[in-house]
Amino acid sequence: MKKRRWRDFGLAGLMLGPSAAVLSLFVIYPLVKAVWYGHQRCDASLSKCRTTSWHQYIDAFRSNEFQDSLIVTLKYALITVPIGLVLGISLAVLADKHIKGIGIFRTIFSSTVATSVAVASVMWFFLLNPSVGILADWLGGSAKTPGLLQKQGLALWAVSASSIWANLGFTFIVVTAGLQSVPKDLYESAYVDGANGWSRFTNVTLPMISPTLLFASVVLVTRAFQSFGEIDLLTAGGPKGETTTLTYLAYGQGLATSNDGGLRATVSVLLFFVLLILALVQFRGLEKRVHYGN
Amino acid sequence: MAIDQVTGARRIGRYTLLMVAAVIVFFPIYVMLVGAFKPGNKVLIDRLLPTNVTLDTLRQAWREGNLGRALWNSVVVSVVITVAQVATSVLAAYAFVFLTFPGKAIVFAIFLATLLVPLEATLTVNRHIMQQLNWLNSYRALTVPFLATAFGIFMIRQVFLTIPKEMREAASMDGLGHFGFLGEVAVPLSRPTIGAFALFSFLTSWNSYLWPVLVTTKSDYNTVQTGLKALKLASLDRPNLVIAGTVIVALPIFVMLIAFQRQLIRGLTAGAVKG
Amino acid sequence: MRTHRCGRRRVVLAMLVTGGMLAASCRSGKSLTNAGIERKPAPTTAATVPVSTLPGETLPPGQTVPTIPPTAPPTTLPALLDTLPRCNTAALNSASAPVQITFWHGLANELGVELQTLTGQYNSSQTKVHVNLEFQGGYDQTIDKYLQSNSATRPDMVQMPEYMVQQMIDTKSIVPAQACAESSKYDLSPFLPQALGAYATQGVQWSMPFNMSVPVLFFLKARFAAAGLDPNSPPGTLEQLLAVGKQIVSSGASKYSISLDSDFDGGGGWYVEQWLAKGGEFYADNQNGRAAPATRVLYDGPAGVQLLTFLKSLVTDGGAVYVGDNASGTDTLLKLADATEPAAMTIATSASLGPILAFVRGGIIPGITEDQVGVGFMPGPGGGPGALVGGASLYVVAGKGDAKAAAAWDYIKFLESAQAQSDWAAATGYIPVRQDALSLDPIKSLYVSDPRFKVAYDQLLGSKDGPTSKGPVIGPLLQVRKVTAAAVATVLTGGDPQTALSAAARQADDLISNYLLQNP
Repeated sequence: MKKRRWRDFGLAGLMLGPSAAVLSLFVIYPLVKAVWYGHQRCDASLSKCRTTSWHQYIDAFRSNEFQDSLIVTLKYALITVPIGLVLGISLAVLADKHIKGIGIFRTIFSSTVATSVAVASVMWFFLLNPSVGILADWLGGSAKTPGLLQKQGLALWAVSASSIWANLGFTFIVVTAGLQSVPKDLYESAYVDGANGWSRFTNVTLPMISPTLLFASVVLVTRAFQSFGEIDLLTAGGPKGETTTLTYLAYGQGLATSNDGGLRATVSVLLFFVLLILALVQFRGLEKRVHYGN
Repeated sequence: MAIDQVTGARRIGRYTLLMVAAVIVFFPIYVMLVGAFKPGNKVLIDRLLPTNVTLDTLRQAWREGNLGRALWNSVVVSVVITVAQVATSVLAAYAFVFLTFPGKAIVFAIFLATLLVPLEATLTVNRHIMQQLNWLNSYRALTVPFLATAFGIFMIRQVFLTIPKEMREAASMDGLGHFGFLGEVAVPLSRPTIGAFALFSFLTSWNSYLWPVLVTTKSDYNTVQTGLKALKLASLDRPNLVIAGTVIVALPIFVMLIAFQRQLIRGLTAGAVKG
Repeated sequence: MRTHRCGRRRVVLAMLVTGGMLAASCRSGKSLTNAGIERKPAPTTAATVPVSTLPGETLPPGQTVPTIPPTAPPTTLPALLDTLPRCNTAALNSASAPVQITFWHGLANELGVELQTLTGQYNSSQTKVHVNLEFQGGYDQTIDKYLQSNSATRPDMVQMPEYMVQQMIDTKSIVPAQACAESSKYDLSPFLPQALGAYATQGVQWSMPFNMSVPVLFFLKARFAAAGLDPNSPPGTLEQLLAVGKQIVSSGASKYSISLDSDFDGGGGWYVEQWLAKGGEFYADNQNGRAAPATRVLYDGPAGVQLLTFLKSLVTDGGAVYVGDNASGTDTLLKLADATEPAAMTIATSASLGPILAFVRGGIIPGITEDQVGVGFMPGPGGGPGALVGGASLYVVAGKGDAKAAAAWDYIKFLESAQAQSDWAAATGYIPVRQDALSLDPIKSLYVSDPRFKVAYDQLLGSKDGPTSKGPVIGPLLQVRKVTAAAVATVLTGGDPQTALSAAARQADDLISNYLLQNP
């Protein structure tokens, strides 16, 4: 019996080796090391460090900058995820009919998936630019002076618009796939029961695609919490830190963290814990879905 | 099929809605396309009409942004990462499903736990490692930390689990070793999932932004994403040049979108596959 | 199906609750920069600073320190330079193959193109050195990347803006320019003393000024004329600026009078330093940190409050428009070109002049021609000339071997040559760093044919020489400027000047004492 257990040991080592090496060197070790650096204050290149205390984590967590960023990030997720989902679902439902030319519409609706964060952000940067942007001219008012991306109270919404648009293709594709997996006879029977369009949607479609929606929202929430490129390219965290998300706080240019590798580690480990809590919450949701699948 | 039929006024209504939605969604792309074909001093004239069409702006963006080099870098980096991730994931997944060894559950749990560690938590130290190794500004820095991912291992393990154990036993009787079974049975049976994962992995590395920003200081190692950032920073006074740059950078993925639409859908919904 | 929707709702709910819990009432009210650092009472912190000759307490705002000369006593001068990396410029002669050097810079747009042209000239003019230009995305990126690098990954030469002097010294990674100048017997006498002085502390010339600028007033002459103002006499004092602004707006010549920003390297930071200097005020204690390391900022005193109160009144009464933090660096200028809601004036670095004229020349903005752009002294307390040196300087990086340092110095000598400075200034609007560049074309004839280019030069040369005419030397000046900029933004959007400045000054003082703790 013992021999059987050890039978494939060498081969398993060979097969797991590459993954194990990469994951331990570039995921596990850096995480542990980051936790360690997190109670030190260093120079920017991490070559000169001095240990403070583990209290640095608590200080950093309670600091104005971290708290502000946490709220910004939550707001950003609360804006982008629901609006993005509703728009994605609407487009998918709208295009979920076998009518002439639907292929073109579907391609257009999925097209934003081809734009990376950098591409989408640069596009929106110019659309919203108060001096050369066509949207700024159309909207006028604050969009013109000082410009949506510069206007306190609106900048986060402007970044959200860019990100919602950029993610629309993804949401559309995922929801469309979900819709196509809904058995047609369910609609038939609802129709026979006299349910109108809206009630068919709420009673049949929504429950049936809820696993898909959950998946889409998990992805969108994660993207919102890890947003960096759109902030970097659109607002650089401004105006007055209103778009400084947690990731940007850790890695943005010219912030308190960019001069101090230790502080950057502190913030990134805190970010890890925030994401961990989020993941566990989402995991509970996913668990439910798996039960349903069974 | 009664409810699928759309007739008369409702049909016109739906087309109208579709048209409106399509115009709105496509609008930013359209504006960029129009801008990319305009000469520098005409960007503010006819922003919605393709007048004064020229290819000069695109050519100039290509040259000044060194976008040819950036595209090549992105292709190399993304292909290397994708191939490696598929290989390492398939091997590891196989070990977890078809091999017997002590501590399997614990090892798997540790692997899985790395999924919970976001890239952002490890970047500072990883950048430091790259610096210590003197790997900054190299393909190694851009690829090596990403040659394996627990996500791929998990996804492929799920599909390997659906292969009946009896098949392995039968193959074993036929004298087929583990690698033979892997290559001739397990992988071919899992091709759709592996393909979806490959596409997912390609897109993720193609779109990667923060890491390349951190580990490169030479424009020779710009990927398309950081190349676009550099072009934006270097040429804000010439908006049309940057706009042309975005068009060039977005184009390959647009082509991919159209060519691999079905796989792309699978790739994007990869996480949603049952399990 | 029910469990699902319930599950979903619970997810959202749990998210909200967790988020709420995290964000709720655990805010300490302290800055992130203080995390992990035991904050001692201010006098104790000041005492840890090696200010042996000072009588313990820091001075009240504006008071000079008569006992301390502006530079360290000459007796310690050779000692400091001797402890720093050497520069063997003869090493270039013995190098057989062309020495390749990497040069990181942060000059974007037109300026970057001009630097490429100059570098191309240098590379093709000789065979000993080949310079590889690496644009890092801007000063911000250059700074971050440089500071995050180690001796192996640093470039051979780097351009750093004026606010980085102290931090560059503290990286202990540079070969002082003075060492190279002495080794090569380079004649520094033609250089403007202001230009060299900005990058010299403790009696050592750390780097060589290359692109030197000061903020100037840009205005559109046609809008001045339309408002019944003389397009050839822009406002000089702050009072005139307010009056002119009112007239521009009330006459309908332009929707806004002046566009203001709160960029740390502009209206939010750099200009604040300029305005205080123009008013004869110190920005930081210990004579702007030049007599001994600065321990705190002084801009929350009456002069600073008065200045910000004035800026606020420009927005409320003077028709000024606040365009935000000018993150792209061009927002204030583009506001002049706005098709529907333009401004008539703005303050920007003189280095914008060349790019602006090139921009306008391309015909991109309908209705604005090149000769409509007017340039005047930056309006300030008392009016007239006077400015602190801005722009950037060139550093030779240590630890790269004698040949690389010698090669970098050779290239620097080219960029500093009278001819290169003349070309560079004419193409950009930067001020030539040496007197003899003015007698060479193209800048010689340009200063005559287009006096707009000479405004910055006259403004800098017109500075009254005094202890406040040299800008602050503070380790974390970049970060200090950022917190100052946040205060300016608060005030320009309606906040109270004293409250905002006091809060910013407290943060700045923390930044300074943390820095001194880290760099004893």
